[in-house]
Amino acid sequence: MAESTEEVAVLVQRVVKDINNAFKRNPHIDEIGLIPCPEARYNRSPIVLVENKLGVESWCVKFLLPYVHNKLLLYRQRKQRLNKDELIDVTCTLLLLNPDFTTAWNVRKELILSGTLNPIKDLHLGKLALTKFPKSPETWIHRRWVLQQLIQENSLPTFVKKENLATFPTERVQRIVQEEVEVCGEAAGRYPSNYNAWSHRIWVLQHLAKLDIKILLDELSSTKHWASMHVSDHSGFHYRQFLLKSLISQTVTDSAILEQSPLVSEHISDLPKDDNEEDTSAEHHRVVDLSHLLEEEVELSTDLIDNYPGHETLWCHRRHVFYLQHHLNNKLPHSQMRLSPVDSNGGTLNDLNLSPAVTHMTQAMDVDGLNDSNKQGYSQETKRLKRTPAQDSLGIEMEHRFIEQILSTCRNVEQARFANAYRKWLVTLSQ
Amino acid sequence: MKLYSLSVLYKGNSKAILLKAAYDVSSFSFFQRSSVQEFMTFTSQLIVERSEKGSRASVKEQEYLCHVYVRNDNLAGVVIADNEYPSRVAFTLLEKVLDEFSKQVDKIDWPVGSPATIHYAALDSYLSRYQNPREADPMTKVQAELDETKIILHNTMESLLERGEKLDDLVSKSEVLGTQSKAFYKTARKQNSCCDIM
Repeated sequence: MAESTEEVAVLVQRVVKDINNAFKRNPHIDEIGLIPCPEARYNRSPIVLVENKLGVESWCVKFLLPYVHNKLLLYRQRKQRLNKDELIDVTCTLLLLNPDFTTAWNVRKELILSGTLNPIKDLHLGKLALTKFPKSPETWIHRRWVLQQLIQENSLPTFVKKENLATFPTERVQRIVQEEVEVCGEAAGRYPSNYNAWSHRIWVLQHLAKLDIKILLDELSSTKHWASMHVSDHSGFHYRQFLLKSLISQTVTDSAILEQSPLVSEHISDLPKDDNEEDTSAEHHRVVDLSHLLEEEVELSTDLIDNYPGHETLWCHRRHVFYLQHHLNNKLPHSQMRLSPVDSNGGTLNDLNLSPAVTHMTQAMDVDGLNDSNKQGYSQETKRLKRTPAQDSLGIEMEHRFIEQILSTCRNVEQARFANAYRKWLVTLSQ
Repeated sequence: MKLYSLSVLYKGNSKAILLKAAYDVSSFSFFQRSSVQEFMTFTSQLIVERSEKGSRASVKEQEYLCHVYVRNDNLAGVVIADNEYPSRVAFTLLEKVLDEFSKQVDKIDWPVGSPATIHYAALDSYLSRYQNPREADPMTKVQAELDETKIILHNTMESLLERGEKLDDLVSKSEVLGTQSKAFYKTARKQNSCCDIM
């Protein structure tokens, strides 16, 4: 067993080299893991490569981690020099063992900024780290920094304007968004209610996709099945609430336009279309039928509540959707959600007339977004909701009937409790 | 919403004998899969050993729910699922599987069987189909025979054990678990699994 400092140094150098070689031998490694192995087998490397999975035997971690950790700190304190390759290998090893070691990510930031490290490598490294540490906050934070670097790189345009039509994301941005959505989806599957993964997904839609309507709609339909199979995943359902809210804020929903919508979509189909862009331009300009989307969401909620009794997440989701529906149905003057026209620059948070504190956070995390994060706004809206006329009470009546039906047939104690709580909430709304 | 294992066992006088099992460990990290599978076997056997004849129970352990049905003829089934999977569907599945198994495999083979000698091949496809509870059994809402109030709920594995018995001891003595699995158990027990590095 390696115990003396020299032996440890030799072991560590060998392990770092083995990890590096493993990546060279197999550039398609897609998962890392720890192999519980309390004792070293004589003279065998603790690095195991099976198919596309990289494993580290647990016995070596207690030697490896403090050593490389210390090495990096000494470099940072300028007590030890490390050349760029050594830095890359050391930080890579460190981050695969502990991706929440911010200093290691920061060293890599410096390497990226000086042009010595390709930022794509960090996206790859982060993706690997997330297979073992799907929540790792520092990994997600660094990822956002890297994405911002990539987007600004070469000052390439990220959005294109087509004739008089709205802007929509370039293919490059679409690919990046697609990849991020996949990484988030995987991480969400590895840990229940993975807030960090879902917040990242929201950030990507806000800052990379700029809440592009087609992408929002695609996300809504592609997460439907996932949500149905993860009925206690609060974060997953919160994401759907975000999508619906964003669709509302990104679409013209003036009551006049809503009534005309069949005419508007016909008119759009008569517009001259580019040969290549036929579908995209039409899709980017369809008027989103918000009422229909919300109705579908209510149906989904009903279906899931009926089939999977006793999940609070589903009831919380129902409250949110009901709330959104009634905003729309009553066509209330939206002082909190001033709706940006379809052809604006992707609809930034600035368009939504939010409080100054929120608009400064364009690059920061604003997971709740829109008006819900503003507590004042919430109570203003609820007050307005409480004053609304008979239109609203029809919806509330239907909800009460739904609750009755649940209570009369359910055999699950929790389900009854949630149904009763929902009923109480509805009653406070109409007071 | 996941199913991880589906097993058929025979409740002998002192031990539970595994007759056939199907596993889906694809959602676990690659290097944990074999240990997880061994643990599910260990758990299924332990649960059947500690359950009464003619009973149904759901045992909660962390984010897993183990549903067990021990018939009066000592044939038993265990489904290990997550906490989103509807238990009603799990019990429907157990009922169905044990019924089919008892018709296909001779009673005389049960007390001395093992997965190698028992001829029953349907478990894998049941496990796979029932991953989506609604596709598998559209009639799940109508469950006339099953009285949910008779299902015993255990909040931990520990509550199945005798006074003074420790799960740690049972794990280290187990013949079903390999050294790697036992090491895995030790580290998992020590750590809060959400922030572990080791």
